[in-house]
Amino acid sequence: MNRGLLLRSLRETLPATLLFGGALFAVEAVFAIALPAFERSFAGPLLQLPFFQGVIQALLGVDAAESAGFGGLFTSIAWVHPVVLALVWAHAIGFCTRIPAGEVDRGTIDILLGLPVGRWQLYFHESLVWIASALAVSGCAGAGSLIGMLGGGARIPLARLALLVANLFCLSLVVGGFAWMSSTLADRRGHAIGSTFAAVLSVFLVNYLGQFWTVAARVSFLTPLHYYGPLRIIREGTVPAADILILLAASAVFWLAGGIIFSRRDLVAV
Amino acid sequence: MGNPTLVSVRSLTRRYGGRAGIEAVGFDVPEGSLFGFLGPNGSGKTTTIRVLMGLLRPDAGAASIFGRDCWRDSSRIKADVGYLPGDLRLYPWMTGEEGLRLFGRVRGRDIRAVGRELADLLGLDLMVRVRRMSRGMRQKLGLVLAMAHRPRLLVLDEPTSALDPLVQEDVRRYLLSQAHSGQTIFFSSHSLAEVERVCDRVAILREGRLVEHETLEALRARSRRVVEILWKDLAPIPAEPPVFLRLLERPQRRWVCELGGAVSDLLRWSAGQPIEDLLVGPPDLESLFRGYYRRQESGR
Repeated sequence: MNRGLLLRSLRETLPATLLFGGALFAVEAVFAIALPAFERSFAGPLLQLPFFQGVIQALLGVDAAESAGFGGLFTSIAWVHPVVLALVWAHAIGFCTRIPAGEVDRGTIDILLGLPVGRWQLYFHESLVWIASALAVSGCAGAGSLIGMLGGGARIPLARLALLVANLFCLSLVVGGFAWMSSTLADRRGHAIGSTFAAVLSVFLVNYLGQFWTVAARVSFLTPLHYYGPLRIIREGTVPAADILILLAASAVFWLAGGIIFSRRDLVAV
Repeated sequence: MGNPTLVSVRSLTRRYGGRAGIEAVGFDVPEGSLFGFLGPNGSGKTTTIRVLMGLLRPDAGAASIFGRDCWRDSSRIKADVGYLPGDLRLYPWMTGEEGLRLFGRVRGRDIRAVGRELADLLGLDLMVRVRRMSRGMRQKLGLVLAMAHRPRLLVLDEPTSALDPLVQEDVRRYLLSQAHSGQTIFFSSHSLAEVERVCDRVAILREGRLVEHETLEALRARSRRVVEILWKDLAPIPAEPPVFLRLLERPQRRWVCELGGAVSDLLRWSAGQPIEDLLVGPPDLESLFRGYYRRQESGR
């Protein structure tokens, strides 16, 4: 383990980790307090509205009218809300496009790889810090939810909250893995961010449209959101082992592909 | 027997799509030498250096440092190499002191003491953040970070660019002292005058091809000299110069010529001539080098 590489990465990414972690903490805390109150006041009439039913179905993948009486419906929105997903994905994309695209773009890759550091070694150390950062950001979401619960929000058992955090973390890893791969193919960080953002947006749209459109529904199993199910976790409390394994496997494939590309590619001056 | 070869480049070719970066470049850098790598902008110097540093994979040929392949064993090689890129970029958040600590940690050794000495020599304040540094200060920090672990081989791509003349002189003096103590220095530059002052061997690139690879002494011996002859008043001036002199100018009773042969031939010939004064200039490396520049520019 090279402490220097870990410290360099930490020094560069800590502000973003704190920023995104803090934002998720705040958003989850607010949702944890506000959503149950909102559910108590408006859920009945709102769930009768076809438009709102559509939104709920798209976000949570369940029929809102049928699920109305089972609880957890509004609580789980806190974990699939576009703001939450956008924060998690922005963190993943921002972090994982730093090496090599960000370093090449900034011109610092020369000085970094002028040190006795192998490309796989660099990739591995960056990835370790990324995992820690993604875990911290997902953990902040869980902590925010917990604080919200203590402040009068809906109660989610701690074990289920941990599963929610784990599921969110795995989702973050997949997006991060894809961003790593895009980054290893690009010389400009903007290109890597753009291609990952386009992929993430497509995933979101396919998953959203899959609730209403059979063609999209048929391919939605290819999207990571298909394996991200906060409502199931909150309601049933069972470990979504298959979903977690699929997300981990997908992120590992992307990560590995990125590492292979990075180890073989030329690093030109841009 | 000469010094062992530290850097070996054989038929190295690297293309960028259809455009040739370097073509069949080959040279050796002996241990302990101060090797000048010369060429106009775009001649392929940086491409060669990037292959040596394992940043680019060659299309053909081979490059090795310490007998190890530059692509496959890149990280092991770089434990004993100091590298200053041509277009130096450093982390903007870093101070010089943080840089020494960080680079030392990555290298697994404390380089701060030597780094501070070097910073003193170059007049660099190590407490300033890179984002607040001038280009010259960043260049100094790059040099400090490249040299602070006292590597066996220093690869410097245009190291004195952005430095003021006094600091350039300090850097040159330091490099010479390091070379005398056995360090090998690979010094890339587009300025012959600079290389001439520092290096003992030189390779010249033109349009991606190696056109010279010699010791500076051999290059000097091959370079032409300018000879000025002042004829005595009223004495008859020869109608034509001898074969080893090429007449460049002929103002009144003075000839300005280019010496194309040995100085001894000139002395023998001049002994029998009514010459008032004879001036033989130093070997004109610059005109040799300018010749390569001109050919590259006219080839465009």
